[in-house]
Amino acid sequence: MQPEDDVKLLKAIAARDEAALAQLYDRYRLILFGLLMRILNNREEAEDVLQEVFLQVWRKAEDFDENRGRPFTWLVTLGRSRSIDRLRTLAARDRVAEAGAREAVEEISDAATDAFKSEQRGLVSKALAQLPDEQKRPLMLAYFDGLTQSEIATRLGAPLGTVKTRMRTGLMNLREQLAGKGESFGF
Amino acid sequence: MVHDDYKEMIPARALSALDAAEERVLNEHLENCAECRKELEDWQATAATLSLTPDPAEPSPQVRERILSEVRKDLKSTPEVIPFRSTPRRNIWSSFGSLGAIAAVVLLAALSIGLAVLWRQNQKLERSKDFVELVNTPGARVSELSGVDPGQGATAKLAYDRTGRAILMASKLPSVPQGKAYQLWFIVANKPPVPGKTFVPDGAGNAVLKDELPREAIDANVFAITVEPERGSNAPTSPIYLRSF
Repeated sequence: MQPEDDVKLLKAIAARDEAALAQLYDRYRLILFGLLMRILNNREEAEDVLQEVFLQVWRKAEDFDENRGRPFTWLVTLGRSRSIDRLRTLAARDRVAEAGAREAVEEISDAATDAFKSEQRGLVSKALAQLPDEQKRPLMLAYFDGLTQSEIATRLGAPLGTVKTRMRTGLMNLREQLAGKGESFGF
Repeated sequence: MVHDDYKEMIPARALSALDAAEERVLNEHLENCAECRKELEDWQATAATLSLTPDPAEPSPQVRERILSEVRKDLKSTPEVIPFRSTPRRNIWSSFGSLGAIAAVVLLAALSIGLAVLWRQNQKLERSKDFVELVNTPGARVSELSGVDPGQGATAKLAYDRTGRAILMASKLPSVPQGKAYQLWFIVANKPPVPGKTFVPDGAGNAVLKDELPREAIDANVFAITVEPERGSNAPTSPIYLRSF
């Protein structure tokens, strides 16, 4: 799976090619659904958001600009943003699942996912493991729980300025760790 | 705020972790700064790598079926696009000499004006289409706003969905003084109004505004419009011109 293939698929989707959308779905459903499950912790909600994301891709593929980033980043940003929105709506309605009671996710072997993405996954996990916990936690709370810097400061009992610095440093360190690992990450 | 201050905020913006006020300030800066927009794109690519860390998971096969079924419905409902067919060229002007050239200039000017009008109409149609599309989104809601003195007679409709997308269509708005603009407000019970974007109506008093409900306003059920300085205010400074009931 290469980014240029994804660009071709998005162009075909913009030209109303149903098969191209099916192909994009088949490529990314495992990664995206894993992400949505991690954020929402609820299969029904995650499936609903996954459907919304791909219908949005169908409607908005022509808005994708390959000069402004990779299809993977676009897709993942879309999925994360939708699921965080949903998480907030659920939280506002007090329907959010109890933290800690993570819904069981059927394990998927790496063989079932794309080999290229599996390799990238290993690199990111390794890079994250190199980060000090004080930098990693703000990143995870922001990315997967949708918390703002102020909310993270409250959650961690740390001064806001400290959280801001740690978050920025954490993301910079992540980028440095991943830089030079091929051109696979797009930065 | 200096340029470096904005740049420092960009990694947090890539993680959508800025507080609402900071995000609004940075977004305004991004509109005018290509360098920071590029930097944001790079940080978003870094942030996106975090999506690879959860265990991949398999959705039920019905999801794929539902998506493709919606897509087929959409394809059926899309009217066939009839390609523009050019008519054969006839070298009519050469036989009229300079008279023909003058006529061509006049015709070109008329065509340009016609195209400009068509372009504007098309823009209005596009906006209306966006509004209708949003209204038809599952879970979307529409709130009607009515003018109150000094905005008596003005009306507006605000469509918004649970993801925060919002489009306002307003008509019969009184014109605003130089340096001023209308501003939309989102109101959640017992909380201060949350500022939305500013906008200026056209000569006929019509306006269409695309906005996003800020996170803290996702549960807003009252909306209001006031007149504020062009760049907008953090809290209303004028009487309400329109409000929902």
